[in-house]
Amino acid sequence: MKASPKITVLYVGSSLLAPLKQAEREIERAHAPGLRVAAYNFGAPLDESQWREVERELSESQVVFVIHVTDGENASRLIPLLEKYSSTQRAVVVINCMPELMRQTRMGRLRFGRESAEGRAADAKPEGGAARDGMARRLAGRVGAWMGEQARARRRKGRSHTQYLRYIERLPALLRVVPNAGRLRDAKNYLSLFCYFLQPTPANIRNMLLLALKHYAADARFERLELPPPESMPAVAIYHPDAPALFESFEAYRSWYERRAGKFTNLKLDPQQTVGLLLMRPQIVSGAHAHYDALIRAVEAEGLATVPAISTFMDNREACEMFFVEKRPLSVVSRSSREAERRLTKEGKRATDRSKTTDDGQRTTGKPRVSQIVSLTGFSFVGGPAMNDSEAAVEFLRELNVPFRSAVSLDVQTIEAWRDSWTGLNPVQAGMQIAIPEIDGATEPFVYGGMSQSGASPLPLEDRCQRIARRLARWNRLQVAPRSEIKLALVVFCFPPNKGNTGTAADLDVFPSVWEMLSRLRAEGYNVEVPASADELRERLLGGNSDSFASTANVAYRMTVEEYRRLCPFASEIDAEWGTAPGAINSFGGTLLVQGLQLGNAFVGVQPTFGYEGDPMKMLMARGGAPHHGFAAFYAFIEKVFGADSVVHVGTHGALEFMPGKQVGLSESCWPDRLVGELPNLYVYSVNNPSEGSIARRRSYAELISYLTPPVEDAGVYRDLAALKELLLAYRQTTDEGEREQLYESIEAKAASLHFDGTTGSVGSAEVNRRTPAHV
Amino acid sequence: MSEIREHTRLTKDERDRRVLELCEQVSEIEQRLIPTGLHVFGRASVEAERADLLRMVASFDRPETGARALPQLIAEGLSVNTTSPPDEAATELSEQSLRAREQVEALTREAVGRFLREGSDAACAWLETAARVDVVESRRVFAVLEKIAAQLLDNRELDAFARALRGEYIEPGPGADIVQNPSILPTGRNTHAVNPYSVPSDLAYARAERLVKLLLERHRAEHGRYPAALALVLWGLDNIKTQGEGVAQALWLLGVRPLRDGMNRVTDVEAIPLEQLGRPRIDVVMTVSGIFRDLFGATMGLLDRAVQCVAALDEPPEANYVRRNIRARMEAEACPFEEAALRVFSNAAGNYGTNVNFMVMDSQWEADDTLADLFVTRKCFAYGRDAEGRALEGREARAALNGALARVEATYQNIDSFEIGITDVDHYFEYLGGVSKAVEKQSDARPAIYLSDALSREAKVRSVEETIRLETRTKTLNPKWYEGMLKHGFRGVAEIESHVANTFGWSATADAVDDWVYTEVAETFVLDEQMLERLRELNPHSARSLVARLLEAQGRGFWQAEAEMIERLRDIFTGLEDRIEGVA
Repeated sequence: MKASPKITVLYVGSSLLAPLKQAEREIERAHAPGLRVAAYNFGAPLDESQWREVERELSESQVVFVIHVTDGENASRLIPLLEKYSSTQRAVVVINCMPELMRQTRMGRLRFGRESAEGRAADAKPEGGAARDGMARRLAGRVGAWMGEQARARRRKGRSHTQYLRYIERLPALLRVVPNAGRLRDAKNYLSLFCYFLQPTPANIRNMLLLALKHYAADARFERLELPPPESMPAVAIYHPDAPALFESFEAYRSWYERRAGKFTNLKLDPQQTVGLLLMRPQIVSGAHAHYDALIRAVEAEGLATVPAISTFMDNREACEMFFVEKRPLSVVSRSSREAERRLTKEGKRATDRSKTTDDGQRTTGKPRVSQIVSLTGFSFVGGPAMNDSEAAVEFLRELNVPFRSAVSLDVQTIEAWRDSWTGLNPVQAGMQIAIPEIDGATEPFVYGGMSQSGASPLPLEDRCQRIARRLARWNRLQVAPRSEIKLALVVFCFPPNKGNTGTAADLDVFPSVWEMLSRLRAEGYNVEVPASADELRERLLGGNSDSFASTANVAYRMTVEEYRRLCPFASEIDAEWGTAPGAINSFGGTLLVQGLQLGNAFVGVQPTFGYEGDPMKMLMARGGAPHHGFAAFYAFIEKVFGADSVVHVGTHGALEFMPGKQVGLSESCWPDRLVGELPNLYVYSVNNPSEGSIARRRSYAELISYLTPPVEDAGVYRDLAALKELLLAYRQTTDEGEREQLYESIEAKAASLHFDGTTGSVGSAEVNRRTPAHV
Repeated sequence: MSEIREHTRLTKDERDRRVLELCEQVSEIEQRLIPTGLHVFGRASVEAERADLLRMVASFDRPETGARALPQLIAEGLSVNTTSPPDEAATELSEQSLRAREQVEALTREAVGRFLREGSDAACAWLETAARVDVVESRRVFAVLEKIAAQLLDNRELDAFARALRGEYIEPGPGADIVQNPSILPTGRNTHAVNPYSVPSDLAYARAERLVKLLLERHRAEHGRYPAALALVLWGLDNIKTQGEGVAQALWLLGVRPLRDGMNRVTDVEAIPLEQLGRPRIDVVMTVSGIFRDLFGATMGLLDRAVQCVAALDEPPEANYVRRNIRARMEAEACPFEEAALRVFSNAAGNYGTNVNFMVMDSQWEADDTLADLFVTRKCFAYGRDAEGRALEGREARAALNGALARVEATYQNIDSFEIGITDVDHYFEYLGGVSKAVEKQSDARPAIYLSDALSREAKVRSVEETIRLETRTKTLNPKWYEGMLKHGFRGVAEIESHVANTFGWSATADAVDDWVYTEVAETFVLDEQMLERLRELNPHSARSLVARLLEAQGRGFWQAEAEMIERLRDIFTGLEDRIEGVA
């Protein structure tokens, strides 16, 4: 009996596993009982037991696919294994990987490592004279050059991925004219496999496997198969879970959306209340989009319309331009309408019209059709996974002036592993899909779905989707609600807790800063009361009723334990660590105290501290478990009692973002997530502290507004130091040894009074080198 | 007085040399940049405040714009040498070299002054005449300064605040100080970190080589040999701003170089051959902040790989301290290799900080051991991978950290910026002080404690004592600094108090503060009646905390103060208490 064929697929991401599993079942049923498709996610470094498994699979496989692997460590371990089993493996097909892996492609006579040389050879020695062959030769030449580029280095910066996709779209047609035999056979096969892969519909993935089996499994059952050309899907389009098909134009989407609006929903594509979502194409094509669907539905459930655009993900600008921006020639915009918009701006609506010059010099105006953009790709806005062109991203987004959010799907770890882990999102994804989008100005770094241990395609994390959706709705309220109705909580810090430290912040004078902010808010039309001066603001905050509660600041609200428990469903978890509410901190007479001062629609609050003061046992714990009741009550007050639309933290830095929980990619049981809740969080933060600031961005969803560090000057000399300097100068200026001796005595006396003894002062390179033996 | 008489017996040359050394020390203090106030959100800087900052900006090469360091251009124009190349013997300290440096400094100062008063053209022309600086070169320098000067006068922070509240796009921007990276301007942006896979950059790795050399040579000069092991504190702060200089220092100590993969990401290391390294590989115990751990997850793995790579090298023990220490520990304590080779430690996942600062600030400790143990309790979570390649994700490994610290002879932290000094925040003493206290307990000897000062044209290594003296002289006791703070009234007093508290933190953790520091703090802020009255008026709470802290320093034996001074402090403290309680 013939040995069962085996294919190993080493891939990265969440879109391929489901179609692979489906293809395995279908092929096994129709053609080859016993076919096995072994698939491994190579997105994160493998451990030893996983490597042993992979090695066993590789040793038994006739065909190996390596797809999207860009992890240097995995690549460097994989390459020797591919070489070790090269006699068993009849084909190694490497697609979209790093150059050193691309060079491992081996299919019959095709060797990627040598391809550029072969491409030239094909050009030089045509195998026939017919026009057909000439075309094939030219194609082979271009393909050869492309392969060479793939095998050598990264693609050039700035090249349009869509252009490349369009070229690829034409490939199937071109490939039909390439002979199935001879030296181009294997190159043709590679490109055919690649074409199937680029449109990873279940049928295409099945045919990709069958084509490989047909040519490289040496198995008669496959050799006679006739395979259809790849199914084709548009490169960019709008997707919607309720729609029967993809939309290739915004107009088509709009008419569907509005018809639907009449029937099922009240949602209209009002640019002020529409969220643009960027989705990854393979997930849509392969049908692995349950997580997208859930998020889209969650956003719509909050009353926001959506435009979910499939992005090429190498450059999101194209999808944005096409679907998120209304383009009109400038002349169409009448003077009066522009003036009307200007008036609107003055009255407090946001300016949305952006004029710009297109590449060909034609003036157009781009009016956003969306008021927020959420990337669900997790990758950089321009450049995809391989690189990031943040300058281009920022230029585009600045021009559009629509906030950019980026949420991440757990694609190289399972939902179960994420739940169990205190790290949260693993370092590979945190590096690529959090740190890099941040450089584009992305905010709201949520995890919204991912692969489960048993499933083959990504699932939504329902509560995360809801949280994102509600936060988008809160942000939207800041965009559209009349300013006079918007409520804001400004939070200042106090560490160590002591009246004198109220307004703790690195390099910032907090009360004058808050006073400036309040004044600006009033000028912008927010209904806030501005005290006569920064001093008055401080005196009212620190004074008030604070004496009667022995509190640091005025008590703005006393929360009963009953109300607290109602507002904070997680309060019982706090009981376990801090005792039954209200506990000893920020409490008085059985109630929890919220310290702050209400100034119209503004609340200026004092954030409680960690609560370790006077409690060495708490400090001695290796892990903190929870914030104290007073801390939780403070944020519950802001969101649910005061009813803030946004919280603004003032100064570097507070305790919220350092509360226990995952490092990044927080869950509903992480404390910062629970505390900040649904509130947009602005954080006035020192520009010279990008590290702690990044923690605030990731763990409390803060958007930082950087502030300048204070003026600096030379320290100069003063008092005895100035006198010493004078003496030293005098010594150096005279040549009279007698005078010098006298001066020296004064110098030593002065130096002694300044405590400049023999060991004082710094040792720079000069001194070290003087003291160092020469042979080092 | 006997000391002075001793000095007078010095030879003429020795005397001259001592004068030059004192000149160096005075000018180091004089020229150190210090903040002279606090920022108020949205407020633009005042013209007069910019001169020293711009001069500092002009003192560095700006490869991104092609501008070279102005003092270097001037020195070249005058054909004098003021800096020493990293690998050559430094210029001998001499009257001549000191004069050359003073001349260059004076010309630089004048050039920037002219630029501010009369503009670029005038400054360039003047420099060409006064110091034969090529106008093409100087124009590049002033182009950088022009941009910064304009940006400083145009503060958009409040606009950004208003825009953010309207739900508009807030641009991202890098985080650093202006001297390090002028592109942090304009402020009012959403500050970001760096791609962890880009760390360390080539430049950071090159700069780290020199710093590590200085550090090791200083230790050797003072202790006669290289440290058997060194405890390194790694933070996100400086590693973001310098693209990984701290990481690169760890790699240099171990004697490895970073390798980039085909995507240009740092994912592996390789050992530098011993003959190239020219010294032993130093064992490095890394205590990493929770923030670094979060922001540089991939780098945590890289550092662990570096240790494992060095531990696996078949090299003689006297040339590979990592291997030697691991072997020794395995033999002495029958502990497995995996445990003995752990070197990358941080908090339990999801937790931050050592709490040493909380305990010190809140005066909650009695024995030294408490602080030492607290540091280890909080920081004994190992990162990296086990033998099966599985991520450790913060495995509690108290014995491993204690065992590694027991062999440490020096502790060290990289400081990248003059803006955040070791008495400005409580985090330096909680980390570097904390680990030093833990080493002291585990090894029965206080380690040598070093800090680098990477942000000067010639990076320096200082002991913690030297650094505290410098910080005290340039900031805490400097009227220019505290008067600048007191202009901010209430908050200014809190800043002064906070500097004293952080200085106290260095007594608590490292016994690194001279008596005179406390004495002069007391004389400047408390025993001077006028000053005390000002502090009391502006912020009685912080004034009280300051006096209480001085009394605590004396009570804990950190300060040998005269009894009479303590009596007066006690009286003043009681007076402040009464006043706050409303008794007086």
